[in-house]
Amino acid sequence: MAAEMTTMSSRIDNPPLQSSEEHLIEAGAGGISFGLAELWQQRELVWIFTKRQIFVRYRQMALGIFWVALEPLAYLSMMTVVFGMLLRVNTGKYPYAVFAFAGIMPWLLFSKATTAAANSLADNMGLISKVYFQRLLLPVSGVVRELFDSAVVFVILVLLAWIFGFPPTAKLLLAPIVLLYTSVVALAVGLWLASIMVPFRDIRPLLGLILQAGMYATPVLYPPDLVPQALLPYYQLNPMYWTIELFRWLLLDRPVTYTASFGYSIGAVVVALLTGLIVFASGQKRVVDVQ
Amino acid sequence: MSSDVVIRVEGLGKRYVVPHREKDEGLRARVAAHLKEYVPFLRHGEDDYFWALKNVSFEVRRGEILGILGRNGSGKSTLLKILSGVTQPTEGRARLKGRIGSLLEVGTGFHPDMTGRENIFFSGAMLGLSQREVRARFDEIVDFSGIEEFIDMPVKRYSSGMYVRLAYSVASMLRSDILILDEVMAVGDAAFREKSQKSMEAAARDGRTILFVSHNTKSIMSMCTSGMILGNGLKLFAGTTEEAITEYQKDLYADDPNGKRGYGWKDLDTSPRYGSSSARVLTWLSMHNAQGVLSEQFFTGRPIRFKVGYRNAVPNQAYIAILIHNGVGDRVATVNSTHDAVGVRICGDGYVECVIDDLRLGAGTYTVMVDYGTSLGRPGTSISKDCVANAGQFSVALEGYLEGVGLSETQGAAHRSNWTLVPSASFSVDATEKSNIGL
Repeated sequence: MAAEMTTMSSRIDNPPLQSSEEHLIEAGAGGISFGLAELWQQRELVWIFTKRQIFVRYRQMALGIFWVALEPLAYLSMMTVVFGMLLRVNTGKYPYAVFAFAGIMPWLLFSKATTAAANSLADNMGLISKVYFQRLLLPVSGVVRELFDSAVVFVILVLLAWIFGFPPTAKLLLAPIVLLYTSVVALAVGLWLASIMVPFRDIRPLLGLILQAGMYATPVLYPPDLVPQALLPYYQLNPMYWTIELFRWLLLDRPVTYTASFGYSIGAVVVALLTGLIVFASGQKRVVDVQ
Repeated sequence: MSSDVVIRVEGLGKRYVVPHREKDEGLRARVAAHLKEYVPFLRHGEDDYFWALKNVSFEVRRGEILGILGRNGSGKSTLLKILSGVTQPTEGRARLKGRIGSLLEVGTGFHPDMTGRENIFFSGAMLGLSQREVRARFDEIVDFSGIEEFIDMPVKRYSSGMYVRLAYSVASMLRSDILILDEVMAVGDAAFREKSQKSMEAAARDGRTILFVSHNTKSIMSMCTSGMILGNGLKLFAGTTEEAITEYQKDLYADDPNGKRGYGWKDLDTSPRYGSSSARVLTWLSMHNAQGVLSEQFFTGRPIRFKVGYRNAVPNQAYIAILIHNGVGDRVATVNSTHDAVGVRICGDGYVECVIDDLRLGAGTYTVMVDYGTSLGRPGTSISKDCVANAGQFSVALEGYLEGVGLSETQGAAHRSNWTLVPSASFSVDATEKSNIGL
């Protein structure tokens, strides 16, 4: 006991920091701050949080990290059987499996990252209601976690394309930009939903349905040529349309026709991200009170 | 503000929206009530709100340990949540100087699937330590917790005691100018509590400022340098620790004008319970001291009196038992109505009184479980019908019953003992005595 006491007091004898920090807590204070500067200060925490989420997800699984690859590959096989072999979707000179995978991979990133960001507050209420940190790190680390998974899947995709006769080219170096852009799109949607999700859990199943519908409204499993010409300008407003088209260009050298909708969709993403940050910044202040 | 004042709170208030009523029928009404709860401009009168904290102002100086007393729902936790930045105030402001560390629960960020080691790093990070700091102190943390062998095992396999020790060890590494604690010290075994108390005192000597919330007057008394009482969201009193505790206890009694409700009296009608039947037989529990006055503070070796109300008890072979558990959940006493050779016939509606002449418990806080059931009056024949696990709580002080190092709630029953020194000359046992004791 005496020995324990000594170790303990040696610990406490550390002088306090006497830091010059000053905190003002005030009703309705702060105006609107995105919290980006604070997030940058806490970047170490973002990384730790992401790492923990990755560990926790695969820890108790017999196949562990292999699920990262197994899940999309299993999905791809199902889709190839249904759409490639039974419905015989015409993908021109590109084998269906590799054509579909080039769409499924970025779509899965988008869909999972959106879900992760949207659920991030609701899933971590225990932490939010007990300790202060910049809440923005929750959706951000949710998206980063999915980005990690999709990096692994991306490597498999490149190998698969190679097997099907599409060797990697220098264009692949652009892939990280496209993946990052996809994550930003997901983050924008997720930020909008995260704080609303806490009191309105209805959004959780709703989001699942909308993402399912979104997959069919995006050329993931079929080529966009199937869409009527008149609808195309609207169809192309979907940012994920461009992500997937660009991905097929990177991997399979499938030509992309740029239209005005490309610019509009980028504009829409920027607006969605900025407004999403505002919605999140004001919503996260209240989530503890409305959970 | 003056250089010495570290925390200045001015007119702090926090308003919550009253949750929508269940009586609203139909989908439209439900959606409307739900929306009203979360969409600010749909709310109207003050009826829709409830103030958890109202117009609270105070100052804390460097090195002060302020104990905040108050019963459940008095606004204590709301105040700490605001000061630690978890939630925002509705009105007023608070100014805090220095780095803030807050411990509102034990094991912040602990994940059951992760090992002790991983949780130390993560929890440390959540509490505001950098990974470098945690790494530098890792051995100390493990050492302090005393669970080296299990450090690479997922914490879900830990006993609750091990879990708490590890969690507290991480928390004790927190180096901040202002420390905000919400009754986290009230967990763990007695030795560990003593350690944490010492660490708090030393931290305050170093010039750290501590806000400590509790409804345990004993821990406030032993640790704090000043006290404040909150009740129904208002600041009721501020002064020295002794004054605050006296005032707090007075307030507890004052709240009890007709001898019912509150201090020493518990309504069991709505308490969660278990038992083999759905019948709610147990209705209330009260605790009285030797003079018959309602109390929650008792003394070793002196009487304690329980009264248990019941209704619709079955006529035959009914028993009522009072089971006492210590702060770590161990059973320390079982007092059964069938223990009394005379026995009582519990039947229909009424109440029973149970008097224990000399309470044999050590110092601490205990929980009372009340159990009703049927039995044939022989061991192994009891069937529990209605049982309230957390019927009430009371504290026990030794008050000179035992001297010296005393006896805590986790050290077993209190026995007065006589000790005599045996002179060393007679230490060798002689032959007759040997044969007497069978050697």
